[in-house]
Amino acid sequence: MKPAFFEDIVVGAAQETPALTVTETHVNMYLGLTRDMAADPGAVPELLPLCLTTGLGWRAPQPPPAVLAFMGCEWHTVRPVRVGDTIYSRARTVTKRTMRDGGVVVEEREVLDQHDEVVQRGRFTFLVAKRPPAGAA
Amino acid sequence: MHPRPSNVLAGDAVVSYAGMAVDHRRFFDDIAVGEEYESPGRTVTESDIVLFAGLSGDYNVVHTDAEFMKKSVFGERIAHGLLGLAIQAGLFTRATSAYATLAFLGLRWKFKAPIKIGDTIRLRARVLTKKETSQGDRGIITLERTVLNQRDEVVQEGETDLMVERRRRG
Repeated sequence: MKPAFFEDIVVGAAQETPALTVTETHVNMYLGLTRDMAADPGAVPELLPLCLTTGLGWRAPQPPPAVLAFMGCEWHTVRPVRVGDTIYSRARTVTKRTMRDGGVVVEEREVLDQHDEVVQRGRFTFLVAKRPPAGAA
Repeated sequence: MHPRPSNVLAGDAVVSYAGMAVDHRRFFDDIAVGEEYESPGRTVTESDIVLFAGLSGDYNVVHTDAEFMKKSVFGERIAHGLLGLAIQAGLFTRATSAYATLAFLGLRWKFKAPIKIGDTIRLRARVLTKKETSQGDRGIITLERTVLNQRDEVVQEGETDLMVERRRRG
């Protein structure tokens, strides 16, 4: 599957991902990898849903954008996520701006749980590759 | 993203001679604007990136395809930006004693430069502001955080907001 290049990204387009149940295994892998901490045995560290949301996007039917660099994010936790909760995300492109070596894309994103309640939300800024000229490898 | 024990955990507590657990967490009242912490370094390895790709499901070629990345401006695979963010959260727990954190409220973050395999990153954090809340038992601490590599280049920076418990009166 070809990635979505800067030219393919449409302002206002929305995407919803398949869901993922956050398990104790996710939490333990995350804690071992980062040495971050959880509040109690059933708690999901707040940065883990943020980390999982990028991968959720990869399971959406649309091709993933050709992200060259993640430039920044603003992120808010709205309510705690617990082990056993099932999360998915919704994203919408709000602006795009062309640059010489790609384009900047700003996206609003929410993470929701099995009750369709927003648990985390924010805004991501990416640098996305432009479509290679025809004939280029 | 921060230690938030609901009760006192091993490592944050010692048992005094009277047999009473002593709470060593730092409360809102104990934390001063301008305080600075620096963490130990942590070398980011290929394994970290592979594990993070597996955990998050983010298989972007910039993190996973060594051959493709040889031809890129970076010359090699780079770490996920969010891996750097998550590692600095862990480095914070090694930079200072645990805060009596009730909740991580949010962040404003910039990814300034790539983290490559073998880079050693460390965190420098400073207490930027303290805000009281209408509830008297807690306050908001904003930290300014800078993630540096072994050449002292800033790779990531931003601010994080934490809700921290106040010391109980009386």
